[in-house]
Amino acid sequence: MKIKNLVMAGVFSTASLMTSAAWSATDIQWWHAMGGRLGEVVNEIAEKYNASQTTYNLVPTYKGGYEDTMTAGIAAFRAKKQPNILQVFDAGAATIINAKGATVPVAELMEKYAGGFDIKDYISGVRYFYADSSGKMIGMPFNSSTPLLYWNKDAFAKAGVAGPPKTWEEFEAMAPKLAAAGYKALAQSHSPWIFSENFHSRHNLQMATGNNGYDSTDVKILYNNPHMKMHWTKVKEWLDKGWYGFYGRAWGDNQDAFVQKKVAMWLGSSGSFGGLTKSADFKFGASFLPYWKSVIAEPKGTFIGGAALFAMSGKPEEENKGVADFLKFLTSPDMQYFWHKQTGYVPITNAAYDKAKADGYYKTTPDAEVGIQQLNQPGGEWTKGYRLGYYVQIREVMYKNYENIFSGKSTVDEAFKAMETESNALLERFHATYK
Amino acid sequence: MKKIDWNLVSTHTILIIGVIFMSLPVWVAFATSTHAPETILRDGLQFWPGGHFFKTYNEVLFVEGGVMKKVTAMAMLKNSLILGIGFAIGKVIISMLAAYAIVFFRFRLALPLFWIIFMTLLLPLEVRIIPSYEVMAGLNLLDTHTGLILPLIASATGTFFFRQFFMSIPDELLEAARLDGATPWRFFVDILVPLSKTMIAAILIIMFVVGWNQYLWPLIMTTKEENYTLVIGIKQIYQVLADGGQLPQYQKAFALTILATLPPVLVVLVFQNWFVKGLVESEK
Amino acid sequence: MKRVQFEHSTIPYMFVAPQILIIAVFFLWPAGQAVYQSFLLEDAFGLSSRFVWFKNYTDTIWSPSWLQAAWFTMIFSTLVTFLSLGLALLLAVKANQVIHAARTYKTTLMWAYAIAPPVAGLMGNLMFHPLIGDLYKFLNAIGWNFDHKLDSFDAGFVVVLISVWKQTSVNFIFFLSGLQGIPKSVIEAATLDCRNATRRFWSITFPLLAPTTFFLMVTNITYAFFETFGIIDTTTRGAPGGATTTLVFKVFQDGFRGADLGGSSAQSVVLMIIVLTLTVIQFRFIERKVHY
Repeated sequence: MKIKNLVMAGVFSTASLMTSAAWSATDIQWWHAMGGRLGEVVNEIAEKYNASQTTYNLVPTYKGGYEDTMTAGIAAFRAKKQPNILQVFDAGAATIINAKGATVPVAELMEKYAGGFDIKDYISGVRYFYADSSGKMIGMPFNSSTPLLYWNKDAFAKAGVAGPPKTWEEFEAMAPKLAAAGYKALAQSHSPWIFSENFHSRHNLQMATGNNGYDSTDVKILYNNPHMKMHWTKVKEWLDKGWYGFYGRAWGDNQDAFVQKKVAMWLGSSGSFGGLTKSADFKFGASFLPYWKSVIAEPKGTFIGGAALFAMSGKPEEENKGVADFLKFLTSPDMQYFWHKQTGYVPITNAAYDKAKADGYYKTTPDAEVGIQQLNQPGGEWTKGYRLGYYVQIREVMYKNYENIFSGKSTVDEAFKAMETESNALLERFHATYK
Repeated sequence: MKKIDWNLVSTHTILIIGVIFMSLPVWVAFATSTHAPETILRDGLQFWPGGHFFKTYNEVLFVEGGVMKKVTAMAMLKNSLILGIGFAIGKVIISMLAAYAIVFFRFRLALPLFWIIFMTLLLPLEVRIIPSYEVMAGLNLLDTHTGLILPLIASATGTFFFRQFFMSIPDELLEAARLDGATPWRFFVDILVPLSKTMIAAILIIMFVVGWNQYLWPLIMTTKEENYTLVIGIKQIYQVLADGGQLPQYQKAFALTILATLPPVLVVLVFQNWFVKGLVESEK
Repeated sequence: MKRVQFEHSTIPYMFVAPQILIIAVFFLWPAGQAVYQSFLLEDAFGLSSRFVWFKNYTDTIWSPSWLQAAWFTMIFSTLVTFLSLGLALLLAVKANQVIHAARTYKTTLMWAYAIAPPVAGLMGNLMFHPLIGDLYKFLNAIGWNFDHKLDSFDAGFVVVLISVWKQTSVNFIFFLSGLQGIPKSVIEAATLDCRNATRRFWSITFPLLAPTTFFLMVTNITYAFFETFGIIDTTTRGAPGGATTTLVFKVFQDGFRGADLGGSSAQSVVLMIIVLTLTVIQFRFIERKVHY
């Protein structure tokens, strides 16, 4: 009798140990800002990851837009309830990276737990935006895109104009013909990202002192320069001539203008082709962001926008292992290819890019490759990106002053002077906070 | 010959114009929700219903991923309902008690307490959200309905409103009650509360919607999508719109809006009776 | 205060305690934290902080964007308050007068309050959309060169309109309940005394409505100052050129979006002082005219 009891006890306790081991998968909390269809893909990625192993359970939670998500992360961190992974966007990079001790650099994490980390695995355009000044990657770029030009092939044919413009000089020659055919020539969706930050990168111009802000927080912005002013004077001219349409700040409104055939060309992101395929009822193509031949003879590449995944510190080591494991999964060629195909964001590793090429993806969808090609263009001194504090507010200042230029409330000189003064005041505050 | 009562005509005209002004957007939201997203993208808001009523509402209500993968509109509806009802009832009880104390009792801290309560109107939740979050986390109330409701009850609107009403109650009423030997509690329950019926109705209706429409606080202090409210779902669709790059599902946003509007409308219909003029038995 | 009151000492404290307790934990404590934060320069994650006296105040308050926001807030709040109060009063009085279809009118006039601010903003956006907005097309058709993306007046028009729309139905509900609270006998007696409906309204009904009106005036001004950022956020976002940025929207932008906690706390404190002053003025000078 007794032996039977002992055996039963043994069986039960082993069984419960086994089941509890199976049920004790470590939860990894991931807060993200991907809504709509993107959020669905995020959930699919989590499902795939969870199905591929049993040690960790990845739980993605949508926390609103980029700013809402960052603020949620901040509030949680201060209350010691932070998630394991937080998605932070480009304008918030300085805030999270300069908070020493808030995150564990992904390079370190993967070096320790994922069998190594080599930045050369990643395509050149994405490597340094979320890295520190020594080149160590702090945040893992997740949804990365770069500005591209989309052009309405039917409209161009109608106007008798050949191909998309490579330079702004070519654009100015084409615009009158497009106007004659009933189109505004151009609209674009993000004045800071497209017409300021990547303008500087494409023309290899310095954006801010201190190595574009990477070296220190005691920096000044350099937007008030003759090239930018020349460009914006031109844009205002184009607006007045009816060659440029301004449909407000919202990304979607300017994209709609292209979809609704009011404008013949639109500056959007490398990921936009997916949505355009569904909503545009005309043939369109994608090409590189134009540049001024008068400013640079051989234009450089652009850098990424979007957001990156940061590993929050202050979590148990077991969970950090899980984060590293997931990042390894996420950066595998299969997952990157999957993410790239489903969303249009660029694959961040060379291996994934090769895989897509080998798979013939770009034969069927050539537009998907243009972004990566632009990111792979030769880099210059100023193509790595920027690291500027309170950049959300600075972008606000930029929007404000660009609107004043468009409405005629300020001249280009006045607007850029105001922009410089307010931005530098913000940078000075940031420096005082973080030094 | 019948004389035209111009007064009546003008009254009805004003009312009809008012109704059109206030209700048209609601109707348009409904009509637009029954169309395909491509139509809306091309032509804007619709005035007449389209053919997608069942498809849209079915997707939104019952299909997971109708809005967000893990959450259906039903779940969000439930959360919003609990928030709305809990908040409204909690508010009424707490503010009536506090207003009663401040108006009908002579005690030293009455005025300072009133101003402290009033101050809550001056610092909206959005501004004190991060410290509030820390308090919640410390009390282990994250992801709970209690945690959702409590901080919202802190504000003064209800108390201020009841204070106004209580101040207008004739003194004779209280004198008569005291002569009859009524205790403060009896006076409150037997006389004051019935008198305040229309006021209570107004506050319940308004506060229900305030709780119902909460966006920021539930978003920040819940860590599981299953606890999200309806407005979060709506805002999320709107976010997709603003960010561009995908086909904006306006029709789902509007469908959610109509669903979000239904319970408050029901609340109004239910409490309509309390608005009926001439509560004869309460006349003094 | 009232002439006749209870004299108990502990009961009032008991009744008031629940609200005070909640306020202490969920308002005073976080508010105190926010005030404390206004004197610090702190990184968003709370890892390093420095006490800087009034630097946050001087940095942010006298910047041109703050002054622009302050000016717009004054105009905006005044317009929204008086327009929505006036409209609501008119509709409530009329709805109270009719016998036919009274219920229908009242219900349909109340609906709008249920619409969440982001949604009201969304609809406003779509109605004024340059490409597909019906109102946009209509306004341009009648000769108003409407462009709320670039013209500050037009943008202001949009946010005022939507805010008034939303607030009118709330005010309507309160006014209606106030009107219902007036005993029938009083109205009957007044009708006998004074045949002129308009005069009757102004000399009898309106003064009786005064407590409600005062409440609405104070809360509407507060609403216009604080709660309208939801609408601004979903329509103009403070554009163009900062022309439709209100003070509270700026707080939200700097603090919630831009993670500048010290600066936004300082702005909130200043905002709080402004509204407090306005409220004290209202209580001091206007309340004495209110007959209870």
